[in-house]
This record gives sequence, structure tokens and C-alpha cells, in this order.
Amino acid sequence: MSGPSTPARTRATTGGFAILGATVKGVGKKYSQDSCGTLSVAQGRAAVLTVADGHGSAAHFRSDLGSWWAVEEFTACAEGFAREAVRVGDDAKGWTGLRAEARRLPQQVAHRWRERALLHDWNSPAHGGLRLPGAVGGAPDLAVYGSTLIGAVLTEHMLFCWQLGDGDIVLVDADGTPRTPLSTGPDMGDETDSLCEPEPWRKMRSHWEPFTTGPPPAVLISTDGLSKSFADHQGFLDFATGVTERAAGQGVPAVQAQLADWLERAAKYSGDDTTFVGALAATAPAEPKSAVDGSADGSAEQEAEKGTAW
Amino acid sequence: MANRPVHFIWMLDCSGSMGVNGKIGELNFAIREAIPEMQQAAESNPAASLLVRAISFASGASWHVSEPTPVDRFAWEDVHTYGGTDMGAAFKLAAGALQTPPMPQRALPPVLALASDGQPTDDWRAGLREIDATPWGKRAVRVAVAIGDDADKSMLKEFLANPELEPLQAKNPRQLAAAIRWMSTAVVKDASTPKVEDARPASPLGPAPLTKDDEDDIW
Repeated sequence: MSGPSTPARTRATTGGFAILGATVKGVGKKYSQDSCGTLSVAQGRAAVLTVADGHGSAAHFRSDLGSWWAVEEFTACAEGFAREAVRVGDDAKGWTGLRAEARRLPQQVAHRWRERALLHDWNSPAHGGLRLPGAVGGAPDLAVYGSTLIGAVLTEHMLFCWQLGDGDIVLVDADGTPRTPLSTGPDMGDETDSLCEPEPWRKMRSHWEPFTTGPPPAVLISTDGLSKSFADHQGFLDFATGVTERAAGQGVPAVQAQLADWLERAAKYSGDDTTFVGALAATAPAEPKSAVDGSADGSAEQEAEKGTAW
Repeated sequence: MANRPVHFIWMLDCSGSMGVNGKIGELNFAIREAIPEMQQAAESNPAASLLVRAISFASGASWHVSEPTPVDRFAWEDVHTYGGTDMGAAFKLAAGALQTPPMPQRALPPVLALASDGQPTDDWRAGLREIDATPWGKRAVRVAVAIGDDADKSMLKEFLANPELEPLQAKNPRQLAAAIRWMSTAVVKDASTPKVEDARPASPLGPAPLTKDDEDDIW
């Protein structure tokens, strides 16, 4: 698994999936509160992806830790789940049990995250050892650690993904069509659900789909700093499609080499930390004409040059 | 790609009482003086585009600056006194602007900045309900300044909709200038601060830095 400070470690080409990722700090910020992780499981037959966005404001001054723990705990829980998903494979009789396990995973992650936050606050009280305003029954208020979480487990036969709070998960099908299965519509302002809330797993959205009619889609996960830098949602989807097409046409390493620059550009508009991880099936879809002839019409780079047309 | 807008709406009391002891003149002066600092605050947050408008209310309410104006092009035309204190009418005008559309969904929370020296003379609660009924109204950063001792502070507190917040108090021109300056700058930064849904309210905006001076309270 890799963390926010080492996005390059997320780059790995596995037997089944090619993985890419990068993270950049928001403009003018001292440090980033985003975290991300990728993990190749079962000899590359499954990929675990996760990003988390610490809230970052003064009220959440330890949210860099919160997002880090969110990534670590999700990855720890999802690793075993991914192995089981690989074992079950396309045997539909095992899918029911797998889905039941998927429904339990958010609560496991939230409990583990809370344990770590409580332990940290116990050893180093966020407010100097004083009982915090709003604390219930003596329990500390964990808002200082608040973070969102998006995670996914991808195998050659199925995808599971979970989301708490803002950010985006985009699936790009083999024909280049982008989908956002966990989107709840446009966010207003910067309100978000968070792991620091009571029983946060109840607000975690989840999605499952088996791949019965075609290859796995590209799975792209990002914190809200990316989508909020675009003038509209379609521009963001075009970016996701462009990244996928370019990765299919020129290879993941070529995209990985430029990804941080693209995110830097986005962060200038959103002002926020911006983190992006993705997994693409090694059996990539047919190269689009644009990738072959070099015109790259609609490519991520050209989209970037279009400014508000993104 | 594009920055997200922050819509800032002044709601200014232009009732007859604001003409007493030069309050309206001081208010005009304070807003004009705050504009450069407002521009600086906006520059310090390159990810946001600050757009300013103003409503004046007295006998009825109207848009004093109706177009959302980029702060770097914002210039202040003086407001003048003209009657009662129809604050509810001002709230209704603001509520209309907070609907989506015309307000875009892709934006940062708007700022509602209210300045008043007296008691509303119309059904202000109805207007406030209209603001609260809009998606952006619920999310707006709200600040208020009570000018003088006759302002209805409990009403202003209700407008703020946060038990941890108090309206600012200005009892002389210098305090009014400090309050307006703070409303123009601190809240712009707060508007782009992430919030957690359903969580305990974050630390409220700090109090305005009131000047310690030897000037008597004159309002």
C-alpha cells in the first residue's frame, strides 16, 4: 500500500490490472490532508483502491491523520475481501455471501478508524486534555480527525465500491462510456459526510456489479478537489475518459508520468488537495483511433489546454 | 476548468433612523473603505471568485447593486435613507437570488451580511423562512451588525441561525468600520471552509476586532 506522500509507489503493473495514481497539495496549503492507497492482491488478480480526504479546516486540524487511517483501515479490511472475491470468481453461488460481506465492510472500517482516533486522542488530547464541547458521555469528539473515504475492490469478474462523503468514482467502460454509480448529484458547497460522525457506516453508499458481458471497466477514484476544478460535471467525465483512452493507447506509464502535472493544474482551480488513483484491466479495450494516429482528440492533455472547455 | 464563485450579498438598513447621527454616512464610508481589503481577501483565495451584490431596505427593499459584480470591479455607490425597516422584504429578495437557478449548484457557500439599527417593521420571519427554504440559504455564512443600542439584537441573532454566534455591535463610527471590515474579509475565508454535514457546528467565526479607543459611544 502507498500513502499520500509516495504516490509513485502506487504505480505497478500487475498480471491483471495496471494501477496509476498521484496526489498533489492544494495551492497555498502547508501540507495535504488527502491520502491514497493501492494494493495488488492474489498475484495481481485483484486490485484494492482507496482515497480519503481529510477535511482540512481549523476544526479538523488532525484530518491528515484521519485520512491516513481511513486508507490503512479500508485497505486492511478490503485485502481479505479481495482474496475472497478472487476465490469466488464467476461462481454466482458465492456472490450472495460476498455481497453480505461487502455490506459488513463499512462498519468494520469505521470501527477500526474510530479505535485509532480514540487511541490517538487518548494519548494526545486534541484540546489539551479538556473535555471537548459537544462530547457525549465523556467520549471525545473526533471531528478533528474527520475524513471522507472512497474505496474499491476490482477483480476480473466483479467490482465492489464504497463511498462516504464527497469525491468521485468513475467507471469507464470498454466503449469509452463513463459512469458514476455512486454519484448523488451535484454537491452544494463543501458539506460532506465524514468518518468522524456517529455511526458513519450508515451513510456509506455502496455499489456492486459483476462483469458478465464484457471486460472490467477502468475504475478511477478521486477526491473532490479534482471534480470541483472543472466548470461542469461533463468536463470532469471527459477528463476521466481521456485518461482512460490515453492509458489504453500509450500505456499506463505514459499517463502516470503526466498525471501529477494534470492534477497540479486542477488544484489551481479548486484550491484543494487533489488525489487520483485508478486501475485498468491489462486486457485493455481496443485503442481508439485518436490514440493511434496521435491526434488524441479529447485526450486529457488537450482537454487541459482547453481551459473551461474541460 | 473554472474557479467556484462565492456570492456575497450586503443587506443594508436604510430606514429613517439611519439618518440620525450620521449612521448612513458612516456605513457608506465603512463599506467603501473595506473594499480594498475585501479584494485582498479574495486574492488570497485564488480558487474562489468573489461576486458582490447589495440590497437596501427601508420602505420596501430593492437591489442597490443587482448584478453579481467581481470584487475587483466592485465600486460603492452610496445608499440613502428612505423610510421604514422592511427587513422581511430584503430577506425575500435575497431568497430569490439564492434559488438554483439563478445561483449555480457548483459554488461555494454564499455570504449574507446584514446591517441594521432598529426593529423590523414588516414580517421579517416570513422572509427569513424563505431564505431558509432555499438550498443555498441553509448553507450560507451569515453575519450581522447591530448599529447602536436600538437594534433588535435578538432578531439579528435569529437571522444568524447559530446559537454560538452573536451579532456584532457597533456603537460608534470606528466600531462600525471595524465590523464592516471584518464582515467583508473574515467571512469570505470562512465561506470556503469545508463543513461536515450533521456534525456539531465548527468553531464559529471569531469576534470582530473591536477597536479600543477613547471615542464615546454615540449610537
